[in-house]
Amino acid sequence: MNNRIELAQRKDAVVVENLQMVYRVGKVDVPALRGVEITVKQGEFVAVMGPSGCGKSTLLHLLGGLLRPTSGRIFVDGIEISAVNDTERTRIRREKIGFVFQRFNLLPTLNARDNIELARRIHGNGYRNGSGLAVDEVLRLLRLEDKMRHKPAELSGGEQQRLSIARAVINKPALLLADEPTGSLDSDNSLLVLQMLQELNIRYGQTIIMITHDLEAASTASRIVEMRDGRILNRVQNLVYAREQGLF
Amino acid sequence: MMKLILSNFLQRPTRTFVSIMAVALGVVLVLVSVGLCYGQLTDTAERTRRIGGDFLFQPSDASLLFALNSGTLPVRIKEVLEKVEGVEAATPILAKFLADRFHLVFGIDHESFEEVNSSLRFVDGALFTQPFEAVVDTVYSTSNQVRVGDEIEILGHRFKVRGVFVQGTASRVMVPLATLQEINGTPEKATMFFIKGRQGVPEEQVYKRLRDRFKHYKITRTADLQEIMASSTPVFRQFVAAVVFLSVVISFLVILLAMYSTITERTREIGILKSLGASRSYIVQLILKESVLICAAGVTVGFILNYLALQLILANFPTMPVSITLFWKVAAAVLGIGGGVMGALYPALKAAGQDPVKALGYE
Ligand SMILES: Nc1ncnc2c1ncn2[C@@H]1O[C@H](COP(=O)(O)OP(=O)(O)O)[C@@H](O)[C@H]1O
Ligand SMILES: [Mg+2]
Repeated sequence: MNNRIELAQRKDAVVVENLQMVYRVGKVDVPALRGVEITVKQGEFVAVMGPSGCGKSTLLHLLGGLLRPTSGRIFVDGIEISAVNDTERTRIRREKIGFVFQRFNLLPTLNARDNIELARRIHGNGYRNGSGLAVDEVLRLLRLEDKMRHKPAELSGGEQQRLSIARAVINKPALLLADEPTGSLDSDNSLLVLQMLQELNIRYGQTIIMITHDLEAASTASRIVEMRDGRILNRVQNLVYAREQGLF
Repeated sequence: MMKLILSNFLQRPTRTFVSIMAVALGVVLVLVSVGLCYGQLTDTAERTRRIGGDFLFQPSDASLLFALNSGTLPVRIKEVLEKVEGVEAATPILAKFLADRFHLVFGIDHESFEEVNSSLRFVDGALFTQPFEAVVDTVYSTSNQVRVGDEIEILGHRFKVRGVFVQGTASRVMVPLATLQEINGTPEKATMFFIKGRQGVPEEQVYKRLRDRFKHYKITRTADLQEIMASSTPVFRQFVAAVVFLSVVISFLVILLAMYSTITERTREIGILKSLGASRSYIVQLILKESVLICAAGVTVGFILNYLALQLILANFPTMPVSITLFWKVAAAVLGIGGGVMGALYPALKAAGQDPVKALGYE
């Protein structure tokens, strides 16, 4: 209970109001989000679950400003990113968002250290900025300190994903968005990656929204939300769902 | 950004190398052809100017590249020319182009030539006195290993070398006017006259009088020779323009192709940069910098290759004049880089405009 009060007092990291997203494929409209409502507090670690095609990635891309919504409002760290132009959204993404993808998306020609350094430079608009975390510190935290000079292809899947997490948090983003980060990893590596996300959340108060298929992965989060057909299920629906899944 | 660019170069060494060499080719093309053209032109102009005299007198349809003219002026005009007020002396010259050796031989009139000319200096011997005597310049003497007293063959006739003069005046080889007229089948004819104005009379006045008196002839101030040559030499301008155009097109197309295939291959990479918050201008800059770097390397290689090419040409044709002015060096560099930047612009904008979600391979 104490915990809940404390959480309610925290600032909102993300507020989403009646978010709609319709993709246009040729002459056909494909609705992907049909009125998503969600609020995520600072320091929360939220897992988003749901069947394939229910709109999880679309939601994540909208939160990170990679897409513009059809309608509805999105606030990230107090800024309404659904109302700004492309340049501004890019700036917000640069300053406030860190992405982790299922397919790692590291730059293959750069070694581990340079991949992280690049994120720092882009964040600082070409300059190495003093603010973020120290590269060495992050590499140590993610147990990559002896892999600094390795190119992504010379790293295991688990190491690559840890590297991409290091890259995502190097600039201390307000929001870390992870799209099935353990989707291409074996269970040992999945566990390690999840532990690290949890550590970032607990130790550094990193706000995280993570998409996952895997209930075990979701259980590392502080809250689980369920999506179906472009909507986030409410608490009652959630309860029903949890029972179905045998969580009670 | 630099690390990213360099690592990409190393990732595709063949394409980088080929792109650099192609840009270099464009640069060499400009430098060598312009260098040889201008070299020929400057050299001809300078040596013509140093014959002396203030004006060059030719038939109205004549070219300033004497190689293209045959002897059509009657030598008798000399007397008429010298009667014009302010004219000190005039000397007829018959020019004949030796195609096999790629230089001119001048037939000169000993007496009047010396009245007009003051720059001819002999390192050995003196000007000829006999019909089948010739004088050669130091370049000719060195490259053909000819000395005073030796015999040389010109247009199927044997001439005895009477003197060797310091190069830089008139043509490499000079023979008596009458002899050349006879060999050429144009007796009493000359290609041109060099006219010397009288000391103290304003050049402008003499020029006006000559032009009034000889309306149907071409009269050129020797001081203007180089400029007029460049602008009036047939196809010279068009040739230079074509070479310049070609070099820009090479750079443009090569970089367009290289960068276009690069961004197609690196779609995901561009998506990643965008997901990290890279702006449009960051991505445009990335592609442009990459191109500028390739072009700059191409220009550098081009200058080196140009140097080697000229060494090779000069080793085989020591008398070949080459002149590459600073203007053309800068121009060649600017053309190579400019063409490349233009070629990179479209791929750069295309990359910057990519949808990040699609670029990341979603869908
Ligand atoms: N770029 C796109 N163009 C058209 N339809 C899309 C696009 N991206 C996703 N969709 C559609 O939107 C819906 C939601 O997709 P997505 O957000 O990827 O779901 P999830 O991540 O939950 O699997 C799906 O029906 C999908 O086919
Ligand atoms: Mg998805």
